[in-house]
Amino acid sequence: MNVTVSPTPSARRVGASSAGGLARLRAVLPLISRIVAAVGGGYALAALASVAVLALPVSRIQAVIGGMLGSFAVYAAAVVWVFAVRSATRAWIGLLVAALPLLPLAWSVWHGAAPAVSP
Amino acid sequence: MTHVASLLICVGAFAALAMATERAQQDVLERTLSRDATRALRIIGWALLLTSLAIVVGAQGWGLGLVSYSGHTSVAAGLVFLGLIARQRRKG
Amino acid sequence: MSAPDLSPHATPDAASGTGARVPAAPRGLRQTMSDLHIWTGLLLGWLLFAMFLTGTVSYFKEELSQWMRPEIAHQADRPEAAVVAGRIAKTLETIAPGTTQWSLRLPDERHPIANAFWRVPPKDGAKRAFKDANFDPRTGLKVAARETPGGEFFYRFHFQFHYLPVAWGRWLAGLAAMFMLVAIVSGVITHKKIFTDFFTFRWGKGQRSWLDAHNALSVFGLPFHLMITYTGLVTLMTLYMPWPEMAGIESPAMKRQLTSEMNAFLQPAKPSGEAAPLASIEAMVREAERRWGPGSVARVTAANPGDAAARVAIARGEGGRLSMSPQYLLFDGVSGRVVEEKQGVGAAAETRGVMYGLHLGRFGDGATRWLYFLVSLAGTAMVGTGLVMWTVKRRQKLADPERPHLGFRIVERLNIAAIAGLPLAMAAMLWANRLLPLDLARRGEWEIHVVFIVWALALAHAVLRPPRRAWIELFVLGAAALALLPVLNALTTDRPLWRSLAQGDWAFAGVELVGLAFAALLAGLARRVARHRSKAARPGRARAIGTPARPAADTAAAVEGAR
Repeated sequence: MNVTVSPTPSARRVGASSAGGLARLRAVLPLISRIVAAVGGGYALAALASVAVLALPVSRIQAVIGGMLGSFAVYAAAVVWVFAVRSATRAWIGLLVAALPLLPLAWSVWHGAAPAVSP
Repeated sequence: MTHVASLLICVGAFAALAMATERAQQDVLERTLSRDATRALRIIGWALLLTSLAIVVGAQGWGLGLVSYSGHTSVAAGLVFLGLIARQRRKG
Repeated sequence: MSAPDLSPHATPDAASGTGARVPAAPRGLRQTMSDLHIWTGLLLGWLLFAMFLTGTVSYFKEELSQWMRPEIAHQADRPEAAVVAGRIAKTLETIAPGTTQWSLRLPDERHPIANAFWRVPPKDGAKRAFKDANFDPRTGLKVAARETPGGEFFYRFHFQFHYLPVAWGRWLAGLAAMFMLVAIVSGVITHKKIFTDFFTFRWGKGQRSWLDAHNALSVFGLPFHLMITYTGLVTLMTLYMPWPEMAGIESPAMKRQLTSEMNAFLQPAKPSGEAAPLASIEAMVREAERRWGPGSVARVTAANPGDAAARVAIARGEGGRLSMSPQYLLFDGVSGRVVEEKQGVGAAAETRGVMYGLHLGRFGDGATRWLYFLVSLAGTAMVGTGLVMWTVKRRQKLADPERPHLGFRIVERLNIAAIAGLPLAMAAMLWANRLLPLDLARRGEWEIHVVFIVWALALAHAVLRPPRRAWIELFVLGAAALALLPVLNALTTDRPLWRSLAQGDWAFAGVELVGLAFAALLAGLARRVARHRSKAARPGRARAIGTPARPAADTAAAVEGAR
């Protein structure tokens, strides 16, 4: 395992000699963006997916349980995706693309579409 | 009893599979075995793994059997691995 | 731009973490996954270590509870479950008159006393309140044993910690579990060749041995670690993901249906107000055993006992079946007739039941439980070796090894407090159990306070002492605390180890014997650290972190060893 990244700033030297705080801030923003996308966006996507599952033509109760069961896999996959892609922007785009088909399904479920199959 | 038998067979299986790698052959036997011998070891190893699975599932059913089996394989692989390390350290 | 550089100081041009101004080399998936693995493993690593260690110990929580209630004599045989249930139901009539609901857990091989809780009128705007007590199955009366949480403390700490509101604790545990899940996935991606390289790890000496140890523990236990983490999240999924329920459950009836798919808890309906004696609980349990087999009943729950609208649910236990999905018989509380039988649940609910069962591991026999314990201990060591490995690797790169930067120092000290401090704190609870005065007010809570007091002292020790000394001293203290446990027990109770062994009381003896094994483990670790210290003190030798050659004594010692 080649670990070249130090999670602690051994680069006070870099900070001192670079263009200053603003450059450091700009370098950190993509990372912060990814963290928000992973932690917050990932959870939102998992929650969305867990609700969208209710639109499936299966027993409502089983769908509720199933939605919860699978949500953590969606969350973990989203987090890995966010850090695997080449830029923070792509990470967000990916999350939105995944969310898009789920949104109308979740919306219809949330706003009281009767269960497709008896509970 | 099933547990013990299954575990021992798994240890044998992983030992065989380990010995089918060149690295282990060098370490333990100080030479590499012939391709036939290596292939035989690999076949024996997998056969023993399947035997162990059969024993456990036969005794406990598929549900509990698979769970026990995954425990046996984890522990057995770990034991063989440690055996190889111990041997290496004793030598070097 | 290529894959992200996760180092917080990196400028877009920095190639490595040293801040060199070189054009960026593409970092690649394995590199970023390695970074992700390190961060998710490190940030909550100490919490995860604590969760793993307390979880490991929890597989034997019933045995620990037995050891912590020495007043309850070892019973070679148990009275019949039906009779016990009847007795305790009668006792509950007197100590909990007018309660709208009580629930009784019957004793089994590993848990020889019965436990019941019952509803009491809530105070201070709380939604509901309960009281609980332990009961002697032979008399049906409240048990006369010292007040102690027993092994239950470790079990509860494992998923909700302590001193925190329960919901906060569970959220924190869930967060840690998600970090763990991502760490596992990123760890597998980073080490993509794990399956082809199954036995060809570098097992040489030197700093590689840390990597090898961490890798070995992670790979060999991978099925377990992945399963335990995911199923752990599933056990509390209704808390973490309430959205499907909020979106899809449209009526109280549906909500009851949903709940009945996941647990056998009987919600009290409105009482009729008309008094009527509760039918024979003993007969109900017998009926259940007739259908499911002897010893299969785990729990009896009564709603509105003593009222004409009373209902009693007899729930099946978890032994011998993998799923923890509810299986119960519902009786009319007055006539004693079966009103409803819950035999099975739907597909998703059964999946959830199996996952829950896999996590708790209550389905198996003794050997399976030991397997769980060992692999879970390996998981604990996996987290520990990962944490230590971080400092080992960083130490190479320190500009000045004598004055490491703050982040390094924090990690190093927290490692000591967690890996060497927590075992000591847990052992301290066993000591407190024997030494605290029996009539101390809130004795049970004080046993728990002792755990955290000792843990805090260990943290202080870890901060104030030089790191190596702290490792050794805390390991030695922990080893001593566990090694002397049988002595303490012989002096403070009339159940010394030799007598437990002679009686075949394996639960009681087992706690002390396993304690001795852990003492040997901790002592071994202390010795490793001490011996390494003498090696590194040799002049002119680079501060390489090598593991001294030694015969591989036991699994975890070889891998949980500190520098």
